Amino acid sequence: MDDLILELKKQIIEVLNLEDVKPEDIDDDAPLFGEGLGLDSIDALELIVLMEKNYGIKLKDPNQGKEIFKSVKVMADYIKNNRTK
Amino acid sequence: MIVKISDNIYSPLGVTTKQNYLAVKAGKSMSRLYSDRWQMAEPFFASLFEEGDVDNAFSLLGDATDYTDFEKICILSASRAIADAGIDASASDVQFFISTTKGNVSLLDYRPEKISADRVLLGVAAKKISEYFGNANVPMVVSNACISGVCAQIMAMRSLMSRRCKYAVVIGADSQCRFIVSGFQSFKALSQKRCKPYDATREGLNLGEAAGTIIYTIKEKEDIHQEDWIAVKGAIRNDANHISGPSRTGEGSYRALMTALGNEQAENLAFINAHGTATLYNDEMESIAISRAGLSSVPVNSLKGYYGHTMGAAGIIEPILSMHSIDDGTVLGTLGFESSDVSHPLILSSHNTSTDKHAFMKLLSGFGGCNAAMLYKKGDAL
Amino acid sequence: MIIRRWIKLTDTSVSLNGKKIETESCGHALLTHLYRERNDYPKFFKMDALSKLGFIATELLLHDESQRFQPRGDRAVIFIGKSGSLADDTNYQKTIADKDNYFPSPSVFVYTLPNIVTGEVAIRNKYYGETCFHVIDELRADKIADIISDAFQDADTTSVVGGWLECSDEEHFEAYLFIVEASADGQAPEWNKDTIREIINNN
Repeated sequence: MDDLILELKKQIIEVLNLEDVKPEDIDDDAPLFGEGLGLDSIDALELIVLMEKNYGIKLKDPNQGKEIFKSVKVMADYIKNNRTK
Repeated sequence: MIVKISDNIYSPLGVTTKQNYLAVKAGKSMSRLYSDRWQMAEPFFASLFEEGDVDNAFSLLGDATDYTDFEKICILSASRAIADAGIDASASDVQFFISTTKGNVSLLDYRPEKISADRVLLGVAAKKISEYFGNANVPMVVSNACISGVCAQIMAMRSLMSRRCKYAVVIGADSQCRFIVSGFQSFKALSQKRCKPYDATREGLNLGEAAGTIIYTIKEKEDIHQEDWIAVKGAIRNDANHISGPSRTGEGSYRALMTALGNEQAENLAFINAHGTATLYNDEMESIAISRAGLSSVPVNSLKGYYGHTMGAAGIIEPILSMHSIDDGTVLGTLGFESSDVSHPLILSSHNTSTDKHAFMKLLSGFGGCNAAMLYKKGDAL
Repeated sequence: MIIRRWIKLTDTSVSLNGKKIETESCGHALLTHLYRERNDYPKFFKMDALSKLGFIATELLLHDESQRFQPRGDRAVIFIGKSGSLADDTNYQKTIADKDNYFPSPSVFVYTLPNIVTGEVAIRNKYYGETCFHVIDELRADKIADIISDAFQDADTTSVVGGWLECSDEEHFEAYLFIVEASADGQAPEWNKDTIREIINNN
């Protein structure tokens, strides 16, 4: 699970162009949206692409993103239970 | 004053403004679900030309293989407007303005051998169009997202006021393609059903393709006729908030409206033809802006249900239809609308209603936080 | 109208009001290097090449302006270019070209409109005025002069940040941006095609 969380953090940094953020800067449980990394609506859409591209998870309803992208830990849990890649 | 001398709409609903207006008045639309075109990842609901129609129509004007789809619909539309205006489009006092968001972008996907690679540049595509009409002036292209159509009219007005041209041929067009559809799908912005502007159950926009042309000239006030349509005042304002999400306070839209309105009274407006794309956020934002501008008592409509969102063409074809509807004493209904849930109530109707007023406001918003508004009036309303 | 200030920023050189700024890097690396000097806007790294060019050029142009970041509705942001968003269009096309590796990117797609850079400048500086992107066939001083002069026909506009903004790909770009103002000023150069041409030719 720790490997997945680290891998996920690296992918998030890459696809969202968080140039000056290192994996150790992202707290597992910190909110990704709002405070924390302060991601926005386009970032949320890009995370939906990440889920499909890297883990084969297709989110039918973009509003599911609000729950799944709460934090890296929540995201990792969802991936662990639903990945097809 | 800036006066319209002719117009044309070239769309899946018809090849003349009259055909288009009558179709819209009768509640028609060519929007439907496409499952096969361009082999998209998901079906999409759009208003597109039937395959082959544009080429067949163009064969009367020239060799269809010499021009791209985007260029062909521009030429098809402008040629009719120019013929109706009775002007010599090759004259040095005629200036072409073209409004488009993506022009020939489909060439990045597939480029026929006859079409040079540089045609993907909007300035080069524009020259192909203006040169078709024998015009030697460098055409001006406005590529300002979905507000381009009104922006191009504002640029035309400014050139006419500066006396740099006597006639402004303003063409607005976009052709749909895989590039554009896939992008909006990635934004989860599209509905797979007919779009429902301002409706409580709206779930996204439909895409569309079309071309529209308005030809303007400049006249002294004493030379204005009662039936002339005047582009009175336009304004472009930015939300300074987010590059794709509308401002929660409708800041730019409100400022554009206030500037275009000037001293005009709300009760003189027959309607506001708004953007009404049927996305959750756009329609809500417009209701806020319209309310802030003190225009809640003015009927609002959106024409996106008939044509989908025609992007660079929207700011041209929608004002044209609005002008003709006022000539017909009508406020066109908002196709797809049933009941509203925007936070600031608007006067909306799914069916056509009557009006005896001779002025309207056009409102648009686009990616990049930009917003545009334009006040139009008939000569007898001055 | 007069030119209050101007900047030339290309993939190999930078000049502010005629004074050359020494740089070692070029292309994409030059823009990153210039960003790092202030390093206060992480969104920079999300931008496409055209937006990065417009952002950095306006940052240099505006950096010590008094009352900067005070919201204002009287300043327009007007850019004119030849390629528009073509560099980003090409990048976006790559995300959809291969049917077996089809992942359209929303963060790339959003920049496939050339006016997004005007939005980035407006957001950064809190400009509520007019923003617009124009495309012409090549760098023409007379058209640039006319488009920006005409913008002052909007009675609210007293100042324009704008000019030529051209990016054909990540490594090749050129910007000639100006702060143009309505005020008469005996000292400052007049805003017209000859002055623009002279600035472009001599720098």
